[in-house]
Amino acid sequence: MNSFRKVFTLFSMSIFAVVMFYPFTFMIEQSFKSKEQFLGAPGHSLASWEKLFTVMPIGRQLINSVLVCMGAIAIILIFSTFAGFGLAKLTFRGTPYFFLGIVGAMLIPLHSIIIPAYVNISKLNLLTGYWGAIIMYAALGTPFATFLMTSYFRGIPDEIIEASVVDGLNYRGVFRKIAMPLAFPAIATVVVLQFIQIWCDLLVGLLFLQDPNKRTITVGLGALSAGRTTDIPVLLAGSLVSAIPAIIVYLIFQRQLVAGLTAGIGK
Amino acid sequence: MANPKKSALSRERGRSGLLFGAPALIFVFLFLGLPIVQALYYSMTKWNGLSATWIGPSTFINEFKNPIFWRVMQNNALLLIAVPIAILIPMAIAYLLNEKVAGWKFFRSIYFLPTAISWVVIGMVAIRVFAQEGVLNQLLKAIGLGFIKTDLLSSEHGALLAVAITFIYSMVGTNTMIFLTGMANLDISLNEAARLDGAGDIRIFASVTLPQLKRFVQFSFVITVISAFTALFSLIFVMTGGGPGFGTTTLEFFVYQSAFAKGDFGAGAMLGFILFVIMAGLGAAQLTLTRSKE
Repeated sequence: MNSFRKVFTLFSMSIFAVVMFYPFTFMIEQSFKSKEQFLGAPGHSLASWEKLFTVMPIGRQLINSVLVCMGAIAIILIFSTFAGFGLAKLTFRGTPYFFLGIVGAMLIPLHSIIIPAYVNISKLNLLTGYWGAIIMYAALGTPFATFLMTSYFRGIPDEIIEASVVDGLNYRGVFRKIAMPLAFPAIATVVVLQFIQIWCDLLVGLLFLQDPNKRTITVGLGALSAGRTTDIPVLLAGSLVSAIPAIIVYLIFQRQLVAGLTAGIGK
Repeated sequence: MANPKKSALSRERGRSGLLFGAPALIFVFLFLGLPIVQALYYSMTKWNGLSATWIGPSTFINEFKNPIFWRVMQNNALLLIAVPIAILIPMAIAYLLNEKVAGWKFFRSIYFLPTAISWVVIGMVAIRVFAQEGVLNQLLKAIGLGFIKTDLLSSEHGALLAVAITFIYSMVGTNTMIFLTGMANLDISLNEAARLDGAGDIRIFASVTLPQLKRFVQFSFVITVISAFTALFSLIFVMTGGGPGFGTTTLEFFVYQSAFAKGDFGAGAMLGFILFVIMAGLGAAQLTLTRSKE
Protein backbone atom coordinates (compact mmCIF):
# COMPACT_ATOMS: atom_id res chain seq x y z
CA MET A 1 0.00 0.00 0.00
CA ASN A 2 1.46 3.38 -0.88
CA SER A 3 1.98 5.95 1.81
CA PHE A 4 -0.58 8.44 0.51
CA ARG A 5 -3.24 5.82 0.83
CA LYS A 6 -2.06 4.91 4.31
CA VAL A 7 -2.25 8.52 5.45
CA PHE A 8 -5.68 8.94 3.92
CA THR A 9 -6.95 5.79 5.64
CA LEU A 10 -5.53 6.84 8.99
CA PHE A 11 -6.96 10.33 8.60
CA SER A 12 -10.49 9.11 7.81
CA MET A 13 -10.35 6.55 10.58
CA SER A 14 -9.33 9.24 13.05
CA ILE A 15 -12.27 11.42 12.07
CA PHE A 16 -14.68 8.50 12.51
CA ALA A 17 -13.02 7.76 15.85
CA VAL A 18 -13.62 11.32 17.09
CA VAL A 19 -17.30 11.06 16.09
CA MET A 20 -17.81 7.61 17.59
CA PHE A 21 -16.08 8.57 20.81
CA TYR A 22 -17.92 11.87 21.02
CA PRO A 23 -20.63 10.81 23.51
CA PHE A 24 -17.92 9.81 25.95
CA THR A 25 -15.90 12.99 25.49
CA PHE A 26 -19.07 14.99 25.92
CA MET A 27 -20.24 13.15 29.05
CA ILE A 28 -16.84 13.30 30.67
CA GLU A 29 -16.31 16.98 29.99
CA GLN A 30 -19.81 18.25 30.76
CA SER A 31 -20.27 16.20 33.92
CA PHE A 32 -17.37 18.13 35.46
CA LYS A 33 -19.32 21.34 35.18
CA SER A 34 -21.91 22.88 37.45
CA LYS A 35 -25.30 23.84 36.03
CA GLU A 36 -24.09 27.43 35.50
CA GLN A 37 -20.86 26.32 33.88
CA PHE A 38 -22.84 24.07 31.56
CA LEU A 39 -24.85 27.11 30.47
CA GLY A 40 -21.72 29.06 29.62
CA ALA A 41 -19.87 30.12 32.76
CA PRO A 42 -16.16 29.24 32.55
CA GLY A 43 -14.36 26.56 34.52
CA HIS A 44 -15.00 23.08 35.82
CA SER A 45 -16.21 21.73 39.15
CA LEU A 46 -17.25 18.62 40.99
CA ALA A 47 -20.65 20.10 41.87
CA SER A 48 -22.61 17.84 39.54
CA TRP A 49 -20.92 14.67 40.72
CA GLU A 50 -21.68 15.64 44.32
CA LYS A 51 -25.28 16.33 43.40
CA LEU A 52 -25.62 13.07 41.47
CA PHE A 53 -25.68 11.00 44.62
CA THR A 54 -28.52 13.04 46.11
CA VAL A 55 -30.58 13.18 42.90
CA MET A 56 -30.27 9.52 41.96
CA PRO A 57 -29.99 6.54 44.32
CA ILE A 58 -27.14 5.45 42.13
CA GLY A 59 -25.72 2.66 44.30
CA ARG A 60 -29.14 1.10 44.76
CA GLN A 61 -29.83 1.32 41.03
CA LEU A 62 -26.53 -0.29 40.10
CA ILE A 63 -27.32 -3.18 42.44
CA ASN A 64 -30.81 -3.44 40.93
CA SER A 65 -29.32 -3.61 37.45
CA VAL A 66 -26.96 -6.38 38.50
CA LEU A 67 -29.76 -8.34 40.22
CA VAL A 68 -32.11 -8.11 37.27
CA CYS A 69 -29.36 -9.04 34.80
CA MET A 70 -28.19 -12.00 36.87
CA GLY A 71 -31.69 -13.35 37.46
CA ALA A 72 -32.71 -13.12 33.82
CA ILE A 73 -29.42 -14.52 32.49
CA ALA A 74 -29.59 -17.47 34.89
CA ILE A 75 -33.08 -18.37 33.65
CA ILE A 76 -32.08 -17.89 30.00
CA LEU A 77 -29.07 -20.17 30.46
CA ILE A 78 -31.05 -22.94 32.12
CA PHE A 79 -33.74 -23.02 29.44
CA SER A 80 -31.46 -22.48 26.47
CA THR A 81 -28.71 -24.95 27.31
CA PHE A 82 -31.22 -27.72 27.99
CA ALA A 83 -33.25 -26.93 24.90
CA GLY A 84 -30.20 -26.38 22.71
CA PHE A 85 -28.72 -29.73 23.68
CA GLY A 86 -32.02 -31.52 23.26
CA LEU A 87 -32.78 -29.97 19.89
CA ALA A 88 -29.28 -30.53 18.51
CA LYS A 89 -28.41 -33.94 19.86
CA LEU A 90 -31.53 -35.74 21.09
CA THR A 91 -33.64 -35.40 17.98
CA PHE A 92 -37.06 -36.93 17.59
CA ARG A 93 -39.95 -36.43 15.21
CA GLY A 94 -41.14 -33.28 16.99
CA THR A 95 -37.72 -31.59 17.06
CA PRO A 96 -38.28 -29.23 14.11
CA TYR A 97 -41.56 -28.02 15.64
CA PHE A 98 -39.95 -27.48 19.02
CA PHE A 99 -37.17 -25.53 17.35
CA LEU A 100 -39.63 -23.44 15.36
CA GLY A 101 -41.78 -22.84 18.43
CA ILE A 102 -38.90 -21.54 20.54
CA VAL A 103 -36.64 -19.83 18.02
CA GLY A 104 -39.52 -18.55 15.88
CA ALA A 105 -40.58 -16.39 18.84
CA MET A 106 -37.66 -14.13 17.91
CA LEU A 107 -39.97 -12.73 15.24
CA ILE A 108 -42.38 -11.36 17.83
CA PRO A 109 -41.51 -7.72 18.56
CA LEU A 110 -41.50 -6.74 22.21
CA HIS A 111 -44.09 -4.02 21.57
CA SER A 112 -46.55 -6.50 20.12
CA ILE A 113 -46.85 -8.45 23.35
CA ILE A 114 -46.00 -5.86 25.94
CA ILE A 115 -49.55 -4.72 26.72
CA PRO A 116 -51.05 -8.19 27.35
CA ALA A 117 -47.82 -9.28 29.07
CA TYR A 118 -48.00 -6.25 31.35
CA VAL A 119 -51.56 -7.09 32.36
CA ASN A 120 -50.71 -10.81 32.82
CA ILE A 121 -47.72 -10.00 35.00
CA SER A 122 -49.73 -7.51 37.02
CA LYS A 123 -52.40 -10.19 37.60
CA LEU A 124 -49.63 -12.43 38.92
CA ASN A 125 -48.71 -9.58 41.29
CA LEU A 126 -45.16 -9.44 40.00
CA LEU A 127 -44.93 -5.77 39.03
CA THR A 128 -43.64 -4.46 42.34
CA GLY A 129 -40.67 -6.77 42.87
CA TYR A 130 -37.90 -7.73 40.48
CA TRP A 131 -39.57 -10.86 39.14
CA GLY A 132 -41.80 -9.27 36.53
CA ALA A 133 -38.86 -7.68 34.74
CA ILE A 134 -36.66 -10.74 35.22
CA ILE A 135 -39.27 -13.03 33.65
CA MET A 136 -39.83 -10.68 30.72
CA TYR A 137 -36.12 -10.27 30.00
CA ALA A 138 -35.67 -14.03 30.30
CA ALA A 139 -38.57 -14.75 27.94
CA LEU A 140 -37.26 -12.22 25.40
CA GLY A 141 -33.73 -13.60 25.58
CA THR A 142 -34.49 -17.32 25.51
CA PRO A 143 -35.34 -17.70 21.78
CA PHE A 144 -32.06 -16.27 20.50
CA ALA A 145 -30.03 -17.99 23.22
CA THR A 146 -31.64 -21.31 22.26
CA PHE A 147 -30.79 -20.64 18.62
CA LEU A 148 -27.14 -20.00 19.56
CA MET A 149 -26.95 -23.04 21.80
CA THR A 150 -28.55 -25.33 19.24
CA SER A 151 -26.15 -24.30 16.51
CA TYR A 152 -23.26 -24.65 18.93
CA PHE A 153 -24.23 -28.15 20.11
CA ARG A 154 -24.76 -29.22 16.51
CA GLY A 155 -21.03 -28.71 16.04
CA ILE A 156 -20.20 -31.29 18.70
CA PRO A 157 -19.75 -34.75 17.12
CA ASP A 158 -22.46 -37.32 17.86
CA GLU A 159 -19.76 -39.88 18.54
CA ILE A 160 -18.74 -38.18 21.78
CA ILE A 161 -22.28 -38.42 23.08
CA GLU A 162 -22.87 -41.98 21.87
CA ALA A 163 -19.59 -43.13 23.38
CA SER A 164 -20.60 -41.74 26.77
CA VAL A 165 -24.02 -43.38 26.53
CA VAL A 166 -22.35 -46.69 25.74
CA ASP A 167 -20.17 -46.09 28.80
CA GLY A 168 -23.34 -46.06 30.87
CA LEU A 169 -24.14 -42.34 31.28
CA ASN A 170 -27.77 -41.32 30.91
CA TYR A 171 -28.59 -38.20 28.87
CA ARG A 172 -28.76 -35.99 31.93
CA GLY A 173 -25.27 -37.16 32.80
CA VAL A 174 -24.03 -36.55 29.27
CA PHE A 175 -25.50 -33.06 29.39
CA ARG A 176 -23.93 -32.22 32.73
CA LYS A 177 -20.55 -33.86 32.40
CA ILE A 178 -19.84 -33.57 28.67
CA ALA A 179 -22.02 -31.06 26.87
CA MET A 180 -21.97 -28.25 29.45
CA PRO A 181 -18.17 -28.02 29.78
CA LEU A 182 -17.86 -28.04 25.99
CA ALA A 183 -20.48 -25.30 25.66
CA PHE A 184 -18.52 -22.76 27.63
CA PRO A 185 -17.78 -20.43 24.68
CA ALA A 186 -21.44 -20.35 23.67
CA ILE A 187 -22.49 -19.71 27.25
CA ALA A 188 -20.03 -16.82 27.48
CA THR A 189 -21.49 -15.32 24.30
CA VAL A 190 -25.05 -15.54 25.64
CA VAL A 191 -24.04 -14.01 28.97
CA VAL A 192 -22.20 -11.06 27.43
CA LEU A 193 -24.86 -10.33 24.84
CA GLN A 194 -27.75 -10.56 27.29
CA PHE A 195 -25.92 -8.58 29.95
CA ILE A 196 -25.41 -5.66 27.62
CA GLN A 197 -28.93 -5.87 26.22
CA ILE A 198 -30.65 -6.04 29.59
CA TRP A 199 -28.35 -3.47 31.18
CA CYS A 200 -29.14 -1.00 28.39
CA ASP A 201 -32.88 -1.64 28.11
CA LEU A 202 -35.43 1.00 29.01
CA LEU A 203 -38.95 -0.13 28.10
CA VAL A 204 -39.27 -3.42 30.00
CA GLY A 205 -37.77 -1.91 33.13
CA LEU A 206 -39.92 1.19 32.83
CA LEU A 207 -43.10 -0.88 32.83
CA PHE A 208 -42.26 -3.97 34.85
CA LEU A 209 -40.31 -2.39 37.72
CA GLN A 210 -43.07 -0.32 39.28
CA ASP A 211 -41.31 0.26 42.59
CA PRO A 212 -38.92 3.23 42.08
CA ASN A 213 -36.50 1.60 44.54
CA LYS A 214 -36.21 -1.42 42.26
CA ARG A 215 -35.43 0.50 39.08
CA THR A 216 -32.33 -0.33 37.11
CA ILE A 217 -29.88 2.47 36.44
CA THR A 218 -30.89 2.83 32.80
CA VAL A 219 -34.55 3.12 33.77
CA GLY A 220 -33.70 5.55 36.57
CA LEU A 221 -31.84 7.67 34.08
CA GLY A 222 -34.57 7.51 31.46
CA ALA A 223 -37.24 8.44 33.98
CA LEU A 224 -35.14 11.33 35.29
CA SER A 225 -34.42 12.72 31.84
CA ALA A 226 -38.07 12.59 30.82
CA GLY A 227 -39.07 14.53 33.94
CA ARG A 228 -39.31 18.30 34.07
CA THR A 229 -36.58 19.24 36.54
CA THR A 230 -33.42 18.22 34.82
CA ASP A 231 -29.98 19.32 35.77
CA ILE A 232 -28.19 18.26 32.60
CA PRO A 233 -24.60 17.88 33.90
CA VAL A 234 -25.96 15.67 36.69
CA LEU A 235 -27.78 13.56 34.13
CA LEU A 236 -24.61 13.22 32.10
CA ALA A 237 -22.64 12.16 35.17
CA GLY A 238 -25.32 9.52 35.80
CA SER A 239 -25.16 8.41 32.17
CA LEU A 240 -21.43 7.96 32.46
CA VAL A 241 -21.80 5.84 35.61
CA SER A 242 -24.48 3.74 33.93
CA ALA A 243 -22.29 3.17 30.88
CA ILE A 244 -19.14 2.06 32.70
CA PRO A 245 -20.10 -1.52 33.74
CA ALA A 246 -21.33 -2.43 30.26
CA ILE A 247 -18.20 -0.89 28.72
CA ILE A 248 -15.95 -2.92 31.01
CA VAL A 249 -17.80 -6.10 30.08
CA TYR A 250 -17.53 -5.14 26.42
CA LEU A 251 -13.80 -4.43 26.60
CA ILE A 252 -13.09 -7.78 28.26
CA PHE A 253 -15.43 -9.87 26.13
CA GLN A 254 -15.30 -8.04 22.81
CA ARG A 255 -14.79 -11.31 20.94
CA GLN A 256 -17.81 -13.03 22.48
CA LEU A 257 -19.96 -9.99 21.76
CA VAL A 258 -18.97 -9.94 18.11
CA ALA A 259 -19.58 -13.70 17.92
CA GLY A 260 -23.04 -13.22 19.38
CA LEU A 261 -24.06 -10.31 17.19
CA THR A 262 -22.94 -12.01 14.01
CA ALA A 263 -24.17 -15.49 14.94
CA GLY A 264 -27.35 -15.12 12.92
CA ILE A 265 -25.54 -14.90 9.59
CA GLY A 266 -25.12 -18.65 9.28
CA LYS A 267 -22.59 -20.59 7.33
CA MET B 1 -37.33 -55.54 11.14
CA ALA B 2 -34.77 -53.07 12.43
CA ASN B 3 -32.53 -53.83 15.33
CA PRO B 4 -34.93 -53.64 18.34
CA LYS B 5 -32.19 -52.55 20.72
CA LYS B 6 -31.31 -49.58 18.55
CA SER B 7 -34.90 -48.42 18.19
CA ALA B 8 -35.37 -48.64 21.95
CA LEU B 9 -32.31 -46.47 22.31
CA SER B 10 -33.56 -43.93 19.80
CA ARG B 11 -36.95 -43.87 21.54
CA GLU B 12 -35.16 -43.21 24.81
CA ARG B 13 -33.18 -40.47 23.12
CA GLY B 14 -36.33 -38.93 21.69
CA ARG B 15 -38.03 -38.94 25.07
CA SER B 16 -35.02 -37.17 26.59
CA GLY B 17 -35.03 -34.66 23.74
CA LEU B 18 -38.66 -33.88 24.48
CA LEU B 19 -37.94 -33.39 28.17
CA PHE B 20 -34.94 -31.16 27.43
CA GLY B 21 -36.82 -28.95 25.00
CA ALA B 22 -40.19 -28.75 26.72
CA PRO B 23 -39.34 -26.25 29.52
CA ALA B 24 -38.06 -23.64 27.07
CA LEU B 25 -41.02 -24.18 24.75
CA ILE B 26 -43.54 -23.83 27.57
CA PHE B 27 -41.78 -20.78 29.00
CA VAL B 28 -41.61 -19.03 25.63
CA PHE B 29 -45.21 -19.96 24.90
CA LEU B 30 -46.49 -18.58 28.22
CA PHE B 31 -44.72 -15.24 28.06
CA LEU B 32 -44.42 -14.54 24.33
CA GLY B 33 -46.82 -16.85 22.46
CA LEU B 34 -49.86 -16.44 24.65
CA PRO B 35 -49.59 -12.62 24.83
CA ILE B 36 -49.53 -12.33 21.04
CA VAL B 37 -52.79 -14.32 20.87
CA GLN B 38 -54.18 -12.12 23.64
CA ALA B 39 -53.04 -9.05 21.72
CA LEU B 40 -55.18 -10.14 18.78
CA TYR B 41 -58.18 -10.79 21.02
CA TYR B 42 -57.89 -7.58 23.03
CA SER B 43 -57.31 -5.51 19.90
CA MET B 44 -60.98 -6.16 19.10
CA THR B 45 -62.18 -5.00 22.48
CA LYS B 46 -62.48 -1.85 24.47
CA TRP B 47 -60.01 -2.52 27.24
CA ASN B 48 -58.63 -0.44 30.09
CA GLY B 49 -56.43 -3.22 31.48
CA LEU B 50 -59.07 -4.43 33.93
CA SER B 51 -62.26 -5.07 32.04
CA ALA B 52 -62.70 -5.64 28.33
CA THR B 53 -65.85 -5.23 26.25
CA TRP B 54 -65.97 -7.05 22.93
CA ILE B 55 -66.35 -4.82 19.87
CA GLY B 56 -65.11 -6.91 16.96
CA PRO B 57 -62.89 -6.46 13.92
CA SER B 58 -64.36 -3.02 13.29
CA THR B 59 -61.73 -1.64 15.70
CA PHE B 60 -59.13 -2.25 12.99
CA ILE B 61 -61.24 -0.51 10.36
CA ASN B 62 -61.73 2.45 12.66
CA GLU B 63 -57.99 2.63 13.29
CA PHE B 64 -57.27 2.56 9.56
CA LYS B 65 -59.59 5.56 9.20
CA ASN B 66 -57.70 7.44 11.89
CA PRO B 67 -55.42 10.08 10.34
CA ILE B 68 -53.07 9.96 13.35
CA PHE B 69 -52.41 6.28 12.64
CA TRP B 70 -51.31 7.17 9.12
CA ARG B 71 -49.22 10.06 10.43
CA VAL B 72 -47.42 7.53 12.63
CA MET B 73 -46.99 5.05 9.77
CA GLN B 74 -45.55 7.88 7.69
CA ASN B 75 -42.89 8.41 10.36
CA ASN B 76 -42.00 4.73 10.19
CA ALA B 77 -41.78 4.92 6.41
CA LEU B 78 -39.59 8.04 6.54
CA LEU B 79 -37.26 6.38 9.02
CA LEU B 80 -36.69 3.58 6.53
CA ILE B 81 -34.83 6.12 4.38
CA ALA B 82 -32.14 6.00 7.07
CA VAL B 83 -31.61 2.26 6.54
CA PRO B 84 -29.34 2.39 3.46
CA ILE B 85 -27.24 5.12 5.10
CA ALA B 86 -26.98 3.03 8.26
CA ILE B 87 -25.57 0.26 6.07
CA LEU B 88 -23.28 2.25 3.75
CA ILE B 89 -21.40 4.19 6.44
CA PRO B 90 -20.47 1.06 8.42
CA MET B 91 -19.49 -0.61 5.16
CA ALA B 92 -17.06 2.22 4.45
CA ILE B 93 -15.73 2.06 8.01
CA ALA B 94 -15.24 -1.70 7.79
CA TYR B 95 -13.46 -1.24 4.46
CA LEU B 96 -11.04 1.24 6.04
CA LEU B 97 -10.45 -1.02 9.04
CA ASN B 98 -9.85 -3.95 6.75
CA GLU B 99 -6.90 -2.13 5.18
CA LYS B 100 -5.28 -3.07 8.50
CA VAL B 101 -3.18 0.07 8.82
CA ALA B 102 -1.14 0.21 12.04
CA GLY B 103 -3.49 0.80 14.98
CA TRP B 104 -6.61 -0.55 13.28
CA LYS B 105 -7.47 -2.70 16.30
CA PHE B 106 -7.54 0.38 18.49
CA PHE B 107 -9.88 2.11 16.04
CA ARG B 108 -12.06 -0.98 15.90
CA SER B 109 -12.49 -0.89 19.68
CA ILE B 110 -13.48 2.77 19.53
CA TYR B 111 -16.04 2.18 16.78
CA PHE B 112 -17.65 -0.70 18.63
CA LEU B 113 -17.71 1.13 21.96
CA PRO B 114 -21.13 2.81 21.51
CA THR B 115 -22.62 -0.69 21.02
CA ALA B 116 -22.10 -1.22 24.74
CA ILE B 117 -23.97 1.87 25.89
CA SER B 118 -27.70 2.27 26.20
CA TRP B 119 -29.59 4.17 23.52
CA VAL B 120 -30.96 6.10 26.50
CA VAL B 121 -27.46 7.49 27.01
CA ILE B 122 -26.89 8.08 23.30
CA GLY B 123 -30.24 9.87 23.10
CA MET B 124 -29.36 12.03 26.06
CA VAL B 125 -26.15 13.20 24.41
CA ALA B 126 -27.93 13.60 21.07
CA ILE B 127 -30.39 16.16 22.49
CA ARG B 128 -27.47 18.39 23.46
CA VAL B 129 -25.90 17.96 20.04
CA PHE B 130 -29.05 19.06 18.24
CA ALA B 131 -30.07 21.76 20.76
CA GLN B 132 -30.13 25.39 19.70
CA GLU B 133 -26.92 26.12 21.60
CA GLY B 134 -25.68 22.63 20.86
CA VAL B 135 -22.60 21.25 19.25
CA LEU B 136 -24.09 21.04 15.76
CA ASN B 137 -24.61 24.79 15.62
CA GLN B 138 -21.19 25.48 17.13
CA LEU B 139 -19.69 23.25 14.48
CA LEU B 140 -21.56 25.01 11.68
CA LYS B 141 -20.39 28.34 13.06
CA ALA B 142 -16.80 27.13 13.27
CA ILE B 143 -16.70 26.24 9.59
CA GLY B 144 -18.25 29.57 8.63
CA LEU B 145 -21.80 28.35 8.15
CA GLY B 146 -23.11 30.11 11.26
CA PHE B 147 -26.02 31.54 9.29
CA ILE B 148 -27.57 28.05 9.13
CA LYS B 149 -28.78 28.01 12.70
CA THR B 150 -30.50 24.70 13.15
CA ASP B 151 -33.10 23.90 15.75
CA LEU B 152 -33.99 20.41 14.66
CA LEU B 153 -35.82 19.25 17.76
CA SER B 154 -38.41 22.03 17.63
CA SER B 155 -40.00 21.13 14.29
CA GLU B 156 -41.80 17.90 13.39
CA HIS B 157 -39.64 16.92 10.46
CA GLY B 158 -36.49 18.29 12.05
CA ALA B 159 -37.01 16.17 15.13
CA LEU B 160 -37.57 13.10 12.98
CA LEU B 161 -34.35 13.89 11.13
CA ALA B 162 -32.53 14.20 14.47
CA VAL B 163 -33.89 10.82 15.59
CA ALA B 164 -32.90 9.30 12.23
CA ILE B 165 -29.34 10.63 12.47
CA THR B 166 -29.02 9.32 16.03
CA PHE B 167 -30.41 5.98 14.88
CA ILE B 168 -27.80 5.77 12.10
CA TYR B 169 -25.10 6.59 14.62
CA SER B 170 -26.36 3.92 17.01
CA MET B 171 -26.27 1.26 14.30
CA VAL B 172 -22.67 1.94 13.24
CA GLY B 173 -21.07 -0.41 15.77
CA THR B 174 -23.24 -3.44 15.04
CA ASN B 175 -23.17 -3.07 11.27
CA THR B 176 -19.42 -2.45 11.20
CA MET B 177 -18.99 -5.68 13.19
CA ILE B 178 -21.07 -7.54 10.62
CA PHE B 179 -19.12 -6.22 7.63
CA LEU B 180 -15.76 -6.70 9.30
CA THR B 181 -16.66 -10.34 9.98
CA GLY B 182 -17.60 -10.65 6.32
CA MET B 183 -14.43 -9.02 5.07
CA ALA B 184 -12.30 -11.30 7.24
CA ASN B 185 -13.46 -14.22 5.10
CA LEU B 186 -12.83 -12.65 1.71
CA ASP B 187 -10.87 -14.52 -0.91
CA ILE B 188 -7.88 -12.19 -1.41
CA SER B 189 -6.57 -14.06 -4.48
CA LEU B 190 -9.61 -12.83 -6.42
CA ASN B 191 -8.58 -9.21 -5.71
CA GLU B 192 -5.09 -9.85 -7.01
CA ALA B 193 -6.42 -11.54 -10.12
CA ALA B 194 -8.70 -8.56 -10.76
CA ARG B 195 -5.83 -6.14 -10.19
CA LEU B 196 -3.70 -7.99 -12.72
CA ASP B 197 -6.57 -7.59 -15.15
CA GLY B 198 -6.30 -3.86 -14.60
CA ALA B 199 -9.26 -3.23 -12.30
CA GLY B 200 -9.09 -0.21 -9.94
CA ASP B 201 -10.03 -0.17 -6.24
CA ILE B 202 -13.61 0.91 -6.81
CA ARG B 203 -14.11 -1.66 -9.54
CA ILE B 204 -12.64 -4.39 -7.36
CA PHE B 205 -14.89 -3.44 -4.46
CA ALA B 206 -18.02 -3.36 -6.61
CA SER B 207 -17.39 -6.46 -8.72
CA VAL B 208 -15.27 -8.68 -6.47
CA THR B 209 -15.73 -7.76 -2.82
CA LEU B 210 -19.40 -6.80 -2.74
CA PRO B 211 -20.72 -10.04 -4.29
CA GLN B 212 -18.79 -11.99 -1.68
CA LEU B 213 -20.37 -9.86 1.05
CA LYS B 214 -23.92 -10.42 -0.18
CA ARG B 215 -24.98 -12.53 2.77
CA PHE B 216 -23.59 -9.96 5.20
CA VAL B 217 -25.32 -7.08 3.45
CA GLN B 218 -28.59 -9.00 3.66
CA PHE B 219 -28.07 -9.71 7.35
CA SER B 220 -27.24 -6.13 8.21
CA PHE B 221 -30.22 -4.96 6.15
CA VAL B 222 -32.55 -7.24 8.12
CA ILE B 223 -31.10 -6.18 11.47
CA THR B 224 -31.29 -2.50 10.55
CA VAL B 225 -34.90 -2.68 9.32
CA ILE B 226 -35.96 -4.59 12.43
CA SER B 227 -34.22 -1.99 14.59
CA ALA B 228 -35.87 0.87 12.71
CA PHE B 229 -39.27 -0.58 13.57
CA THR B 230 -38.66 -1.92 17.05
CA ALA B 231 -35.57 -0.46 18.73
CA LEU B 232 -36.18 3.28 18.68
CA PHE B 233 -38.28 3.48 21.83
CA SER B 234 -35.42 4.60 24.07
CA LEU B 235 -34.21 7.25 21.63
CA ILE B 236 -37.69 8.67 21.14
CA PHE B 237 -38.58 8.49 24.82
CA VAL B 238 -35.47 10.43 25.81
CA MET B 239 -35.09 12.78 22.84
CA THR B 240 -38.59 13.89 21.89
CA GLY B 241 -41.27 11.99 23.78
CA GLY B 242 -42.87 11.38 20.38
CA GLY B 243 -43.26 15.07 19.61
CA PRO B 244 -43.46 17.79 18.60
CA GLY B 245 -47.07 16.86 17.85
CA PHE B 246 -46.85 13.37 16.43
CA GLY B 247 -43.66 14.29 14.59
CA THR B 248 -41.54 11.46 15.97
CA THR B 249 -44.19 9.01 17.13
CA THR B 250 -43.48 5.66 15.49
CA LEU B 251 -45.72 2.63 15.71
CA GLU B 252 -43.77 1.15 18.63
CA PHE B 253 -43.93 4.42 20.54
CA PHE B 254 -47.63 4.79 19.69
CA VAL B 255 -48.26 1.42 21.38
CA TYR B 256 -46.74 2.72 24.60
CA GLN B 257 -48.46 6.10 24.35
CA SER B 258 -51.91 4.68 23.67
CA ALA B 259 -51.78 2.22 26.54
CA PHE B 260 -49.85 4.07 29.20
CA ALA B 261 -50.45 7.74 28.49
CA LYS B 262 -54.09 7.42 27.38
CA GLY B 263 -55.03 4.23 29.23
CA ASP B 264 -56.47 2.73 26.04
CA PHE B 265 -55.05 -0.80 26.37
CA GLY B 266 -57.24 -2.08 23.54
CA ALA B 267 -55.69 0.37 21.09
CA GLY B 268 -52.22 -0.41 22.43
CA ALA B 269 -52.76 -4.14 21.92
CA MET B 270 -54.10 -3.52 18.41
CA LEU B 271 -51.19 -1.29 17.36
CA GLY B 272 -48.80 -3.89 18.75
CA PHE B 273 -50.52 -6.57 16.72
CA ILE B 274 -50.32 -4.42 13.58
CA LEU B 275 -46.59 -4.06 14.22
CA PHE B 276 -46.34 -7.84 14.50
CA VAL B 277 -48.14 -8.31 11.17
CA ILE B 278 -45.84 -5.78 9.48
CA MET B 279 -42.72 -7.49 10.83
CA ALA B 280 -44.00 -10.93 9.86
CA GLY B 281 -44.82 -9.62 6.37
CA LEU B 282 -41.34 -8.12 5.98
CA GLY B 283 -39.81 -11.36 7.21
CA ALA B 284 -41.79 -13.42 4.71
CA ALA B 285 -40.90 -11.01 1.89
CA GLN B 286 -37.22 -11.21 2.79
CA LEU B 287 -37.36 -15.00 2.85
CA THR B 288 -39.05 -15.29 -0.57
CA LEU B 289 -36.61 -12.78 -2.07
CA THR B 290 -33.50 -14.62 -0.90
CA ARG B 291 -34.99 -18.01 -1.80
CA SER B 292 -35.94 -16.98 -5.33
CA LYS B 293 -32.45 -15.60 -5.97
CA GLU B 294 -30.81 -18.83 -4.90
